Order: sequence, then C-alpha cells, then structure tokens
Amino acid sequence: MNRIGIVVALIAFLVGLSVATFAELRVFLPAILRGAVVTVHVATLSIALFLLLSVVAGIGRAYGAAPVRWLSVLYIEVFRGTSLLVILFWMFFVMPEFGLFLSPVAAGVLGIGLNFGAYGAEVVRGALAAVPRGQTEATIALNMSAFRRMTRIVLPQAVAIMIPGLVNLTIELVKATALVSAVTLSDITYAAVQQNQLHFRTVEIFSITLMLYYCLAQFVRFGGAALEDRFSRHRARRA
Amino acid sequence: MIRFDKVLKAYGALEVLKDLDFSVEKGEVVSIIGPSGSGKTTVLRVLMTLEDIQGGTIYVDGEPLNRMDVNGQLVEASKAHVRRIRAKLGMVFQSFNLFPHMTALQNCIESPIYTQGLSKAEAVEEATRLLDMVGLADKAGHYPSQLSGGQQQRVAIARTLAMHPEVLLFDEPTSALDPEMVGEVLSVIRDLAKSGRYTILLVTHQMGFAREVSDRVCFFDAGKMVEEGVPGDLFGNPRNERLRQFLSKVLEAS
Amino acid sequence: MDWRWDFTFEVVLPRIWQAAGVTVWATVVSFLLALVGGLVLMLLKTHRSAWISRPATEFIEVIRATPLLVQIFFLFFLLPEVGITLPPLTTGILALAIYNSTLCAEVYRAGFQAVPSGQWEACVALNMSTYRTYKDVIIPQSLPPIVPALGNYLVAIFKETPLLSFVAVAEIMQVSKLIGSEYYRFTEAITVAGIFFLVMSLVAAFLIRLVDQYVKRSILH
Ligand SMILES: Nc1ncnc2c1ncn2[C@@H]1O[C@H](COP(=O)(O)OP(=O)(O)O)[C@@H](O)[C@H]1O
Ligand SMILES: [Mg+2]
Repeated sequence: MNRIGIVVALIAFLVGLSVATFAELRVFLPAILRGAVVTVHVATLSIALFLLLSVVAGIGRAYGAAPVRWLSVLYIEVFRGTSLLVILFWMFFVMPEFGLFLSPVAAGVLGIGLNFGAYGAEVVRGALAAVPRGQTEATIALNMSAFRRMTRIVLPQAVAIMIPGLVNLTIELVKATALVSAVTLSDITYAAVQQNQLHFRTVEIFSITLMLYYCLAQFVRFGGAALEDRFSRHRARRA
Repeated sequence: MIRFDKVLKAYGALEVLKDLDFSVEKGEVVSIIGPSGSGKTTVLRVLMTLEDIQGGTIYVDGEPLNRMDVNGQLVEASKAHVRRIRAKLGMVFQSFNLFPHMTALQNCIESPIYTQGLSKAEAVEEATRLLDMVGLADKAGHYPSQLSGGQQQRVAIARTLAMHPEVLLFDEPTSALDPEMVGEVLSVIRDLAKSGRYTILLVTHQMGFAREVSDRVCFFDAGKMVEEGVPGDLFGNPRNERLRQFLSKVLEAS
Repeated sequence: MDWRWDFTFEVVLPRIWQAAGVTVWATVVSFLLALVGGLVLMLLKTHRSAWISRPATEFIEVIRATPLLVQIFFLFFLLPEVGITLPPLTTGILALAIYNSTLCAEVYRAGFQAVPSGQWEACVALNMSTYRTYKDVIIPQSLPPIVPALGNYLVAIFKETPLLSFVAVAEIMQVSKLIGSEYYRFTEAITVAGIFFLVMSLVAAFLIRLVDQYVKRSILH
C-alpha cells in the first residue's frame, strides 16, 4: 500500500512538472527514455549472468571437489574485493591488451555480472548451508541417491531461502548499471547528465531520473515477492 | 538380524561407543534406555550409516554394513552395497525431519518411486494406505507446517514404512512432542510392535511404554551396554548400581 | 600483452599512492558522517509523530532504491544552482555520507530490534531507568549484530569512492584514468588500482572479523 502510494504521488509530481516546464520536458524526456532502454537492456543481460554465476560458484564452493572449490573461492574473493568501476574499466581498457576486444555492452554486462555473481555465490552458499542437517539425514535414512537428495530436497529448500538475498542483490545490480556510462554506454544516468548540461533543469531532470530507478527497483521487488510466495507456499502457518 | 561386533565410535578423542557388542534377533522389539549422553542415539546413527565407525563391524542380516566380502576378503563397502543393506533399515527421528516443501503424501512417495521403481499411482496407493493406518488419511495434502507435532511424527512413521524396511529404528520419537500428543504416536508404535512384522530398536525415556512393548530392554551407560534383560527383570530387579540410580531418578521425575 | 615495470614504478605507483590519500580521506570522513547521520535518521524514523517519521521513512526508501552515482550528480549540479559552491571532493563526501547514513539507520534499527522484548520487560520489572536500560542492557546486546554490519559498510564506502571520479575528484580511479590518457597506457594504472582495492578489502575483511570476534567475546561471553 505504502509503495503504491509513493508511486502514485511521484506520477502526480511528474504530471505537475510536465505542466510547469512542458517545453523542456518534451526535449529531454525522450533522451532519458532512450537511456532507459539501454539501462533495461544491460540490466536484463547482467541479471542473467549474475544468477548463473551465483548458482555455479555457490554450489562449487559448497560442494565442489577441491580444485573447483578453490577456483570458486578465488573468483568470489577477487570480484567481491575490487570495486565495480575498476572492473568495468579493466574489462574495457585492459582486456584489449589480451586481444579481447569487448563491445561496450559486453564489457558492461560481463563486469556487472562477474561482480554481483561473486556476492550472489555467497548468498547461494549460505542458503545451502541453512538447509537443516536433519533433511540430509532423512534422505540417507530413506536411501535416496546423492543426486536426488540435491535436486529434490536440498535445492528446493535452499531456493526458498536464497530468494530474498538474491532479490536485494538484483536491486543493487539495477542501481549499479548507472556506472556503465564509464564504458561509453548512453544509459539513463548518462542521458540525464547530458541533458542537464544542455538545459540546466537539474531538479526536474534528476527527480525524473531518480524516479525511473525507483520504479525499476520496485518492479524487481514486486517480482521477487511473487517468486518468494511461489517458493515458500509450504511455510503457510496452520489456518 | 543386527549384530554390533566390538564397535568403536569416537569424535576426536571422545569415545562415544567403546567396543560395543550388541545384537538383536529378527522380529525382536528391543528398547534402549540410559542417561543422556550415554550413546543411545549414536547406536542408531551408526547403524543407519549417518556416522562412520572407527573400529569393529556392524552386521545386518549376517552381512557387514560398512565392509563387504569380496573373494573372502573384507574390503571397504561400495555405495551400492551400503544402499542395498540400508534398504532393510528405516529410521524415525526425534525431530521428524519431514521435507517441509512437500505435502504429507509427497513425503511418503518421494523415495519409494525412485528406490523401488514403483509407478506414481502405486506409490500413492501405498502411501494413502499407510497414512490411513497412522490415522492421517485426511491430512495427505497438508504441508508439515500445517500439522501438529504428533501428526508430523505419524507422517514420518508412514514415510519410513513406505520404504518396506525390515528393521525400524526410533530415536526418542516422542521427546519433541507436547505431552498430549505423546499417546497418539505411542499407539502407532505399539501396533507396529505387536504386528510382529518388524524388528524394532527403540530409544526412549518412556519407561512404562518400554516395559509394555519390549521383548528385551538394554541399559546403556558411558558408551557401553551395562545390563540387559526382559522388562520385568530389568525394571523389577535391577542388578547394576548405575541402573538402579537411573531408574530411581526417572521414577522420581514422573 | 606488454607490461612495463619501469612505467609502473616511476609513474603509476607514486601518483596512485598520492591519490590513495584522497580515497582514504573520503572513505573515513563519509563513514564518520554516515555513522552520525544514520543515528539521526533512525531517531527521526522512529519518532512518535507521523509528520516526522513518515518523511524520514520515505527519504530513506528513495535514497536506498536509487543509484548513488545519480545522487552524486544531483548534488554536484544542484548545490551551485542554489548558490552553494563546494569543492567536488566535499560534494562527493556529502553524497556518500547521505547515501550510507540511510543504510546505517537500518543497521541501528535492526540491532535494537534484535534485542528480545523480554529484556525490555525485565528492565521495567527491575525498575531500571531508561538511561540504565539502554546503557547496561540494550546497547551492549545490540552491538554484536551492529558492529560487523557497520564494518561492512566501511568497506562498501571504500569501494564506492571510485564513483567520485565521475565528478573529477582526484581519487585513485580518476588518477589512473588520467595516467592512461596521458601516456596512452591503461593496463598498468588500472590493474594497480584494482589490486589496491583488492588488498585493502581483504585486509579490512580480516580486521572486521577480528573486531567482530572481540565484540562477541567481550559482550556475550
Ligand atoms: N557430532 C558430534 N560431535 C562430538 N560429539 C558428539 C557428536 N554427537 C554426539 N556426541 C557426543 O556423543 C555422546 C553420545 O551422544 P548420544 O548418542 O547423542 O547420546 P544419547 O542419545 O544417549 O543422549 C555425547 O557425549 C555427545 O556429546
Ligand atoms: Mg539421544
């Protein structure tokens, strides 16, 4: 309720603004919306890579044989330890030194995906560890194979536990796409700065920009809440 | 049916089972009693292969559980061997350990479908029969979180029976329950004991119940079996000093 | 790939070392401001009057749900328009502090909420004053969750300081970009910057663990 109220208020605010400053709005809004397309594009691809890396490295660290485990730890520590902007620059300016020329989108997606995948892996590992030991013991007593134990008992319960953490990271990821202008992409943030330098309407332009990001974040949150419901139906308390 | 031969179980330097010799005949109902920390749970856990042992051998139906016979030599058991032996055993946990993301019925069919190659319809039919037997026919579609502790434990028993084990292991099956739910679970176990179809190993603090259903009661203390006998003798005429102390404390409490 | 060690030692390291001072300064100052700001925001958010708590809550929500970089730009362009001219570094520190104070506010709130309600009730039953209740019972018990969380935010702020390069603050990232475009060599400068962040983060994570263990041991026994 609370959130819906805010979104309604913000839309009213936007309409008020557009009335007050119609001429400029018509100039800079299309540019910012074109930026939004880039932001959503980069965010979607990055989220896919982030989730994939989270699961692979999280399971690798929790259950992998020694070399896999060490590789996962190395990946997680390195990409959590550095700053996203440094990673992005590295992808874009240093990778060509190794003969790997990445397009701006590829550099952005790879940098963001690798960075957040390292955080996500820790969420996944924590969720796997949070499945009670008794569950594993029951699968042994029921003579289930290790594969079925993982796919039928441990993972489904771990997924329910990891969703809130992964949703929070996804919101952080969407916010972090604001950095991709560093690798020459014209996302929302880039468009806002550029339009502001042309029109000097700081309050309007940046209010709209903040609101766009806010809406994207709420969008992810609603989706996450729906997923969480779907995966934790069994937790419904006695009616 | 089950024989512990000089079984040693240690956590680091702490020896929890010390050269334990202990056996259970086919169809026998045996209760294990003893003070907390004496190793009762451990006996069931090593038998169920939830823990490995550091010495000795456990035999199930004459076959060693943790080793296997290859051309007359005992070698480390293969996975297939362990799983074949384990299929004869079923365990009911103190804290139920139902799968929370599956309904009562799904809990009962999950393993039979894959370990016994039943079709889903066959597994459902069998599970429904067992849930009915433990008095929960109407709860088949409920998730564990929607059931009381006593109901959860009865589902856990049905889930174990669905595996068609020959030996049933109960680890204090009523200790985690509110007092008013103890009776419903004990009555299910009583029926299983009376049916004569199962070899039963029951760890319990319910002395009255142990006396009523057991063919034999074993008293454990500090990782050893100190005294065993038919219930009447063991409770009526305890010889060991530690057993006498234990019984008087338990009786005082109740 | 060619990596030039002479270039690394003669140009990159000295300049990045200087810039590291700016990075550390920005980190420490905005962290301290955020610690205080967070406390203020938490008090506003839990204020009895809805006229105060509601706006505070919404402010926290919006700041947390939007990118820090946009907030930095916003402040950077807004302040001069309303007649406040500050050096970019100061503006950047301010933005970092505001953003992170909303996060700290949540940490404080969660920490106090984690103290079981039975503890409050026991204090009432023992007729303790509000001051004694907080000082001797509530705050000591809420520290174990709060301290490591704040430590993590210190590291997070450290990793956020490269954003100040967008408004031309001469911190590590900006300096390595400058070196790159001056000499047409990005590899050494950006790699050194990356290693600097990695090493500092690992050291910080280690220190946080020590402090965390110390707090747990000395308070919870
Ligand atoms: N995982 C473990 N690690 C170390 N010690 C353990 C572990 N599990 C049990 N023990 C110890 O083994 C002893 C016997 O435990 P248990 O068999 O559970 O006793 P009982 O069921 O008779 O109360 C206890 O002293 C207990 O502390
Ligand atoms: Mg026990």
